[in-house]
Amino acid sequence: MHGNIWVVQNPQGSAQSMALVIRFQLRPSVSITINELGESSDQPCSNSLFKGLQVLLADDDDLNRAVTRKLLEKLGCSVSAVTSGFECLTSIGPASSPFQIVILELQMPELDGFEVAMRIRKFRSRNWPLIVAMTASADDDTWERCSQIGINGVIRKPVLLQGIAIELRKVLMQANKV
Amino acid sequence: MDLVQLQRQFVDYRTSLYHEGFLDEQFTQLQELQDENNPDFVVEVVSLFFEDSERLLNELARALEQQSIDYKRIDAHVHQLKGSSSSIGAQRVQKVCIAFRNYCEEQNVEGCLKCLQQVRHEYSLVKTKLESLFQLEQQILTAGGSIPM
Repeated sequence: MHGNIWVVQNPQGSAQSMALVIRFQLRPSVSITINELGESSDQPCSNSLFKGLQVLLADDDDLNRAVTRKLLEKLGCSVSAVTSGFECLTSIGPASSPFQIVILELQMPELDGFEVAMRIRKFRSRNWPLIVAMTASADDDTWERCSQIGINGVIRKPVLLQGIAIELRKVLMQANKV
Repeated sequence: MDLVQLQRQFVDYRTSLYHEGFLDEQFTQLQELQDENNPDFVVEVVSLFFEDSERLLNELARALEQQSIDYKRIDAHVHQLKGSSSSIGAQRVQKVCIAFRNYCEEQNVEGCLKCLQQVRHEYSLVKTKLESLFQLEQQILTAGGSIPM
């Protein structure tokens, strides 16, 4: 990796500090072409970004949950769905979670998406799992509030395949840069 | 009627539903999500929509009959109805819901009652039309044909 490593020795001859420099090459960005039918173009790996992605979907509305789940599966994601904020927190658990992304409806009864996200960020790291909110609200306030809590992206409802794909790709790309 | 005629009738009928604003691109997306693994996806989701809507419409009627009207509760129900109708592409139902929510915010009982009547009407229209569409589909499948995309 064209790196360098050196050791600074103290007067006794043992290592006082060590430095390690590694050069990484920037990968070209993954381009995903999704035509109107929602199918990937002739690039065989064009949806490899989503293939096998472990997603936890939380939405109390049966209909919306069924549709969003199907959209995610169409992209290639592996989806687990829950119907409440509480179930969502339980599924993530205190230990290492199998989910890479949590997709979370903001307006849920009892425990809403904002609360769930706050608790996830409180007890787990800043970027794992990634959290993407779903909401019918269009305003900047919502995005502002999401951003402050540590939510990584927002998808507008009603959900369209392209909408999910674009936002998920953006969120995954940003996470890779960290 | 032979298969080709049936299929043509189906396509014409479906196109008219889009033209008249009963359905929008969300419905198209639902159809595209249907595949061999989920051959009844559209019917299942639409059935959910019928169940949800009927329950919500009853709740709304009840809530608007109360002596002291709970507008927050009404708004919550309309928000749900707006959400599910937009998810399946029932555009006209969704539009009435938007007006309905505005009246809720104004706490305008007459406006709300008017919207309830309208949304009931639009719901019953789209329900009838979707049922007719599914019936046509069934006829095509029974005749051994495939559903035109």
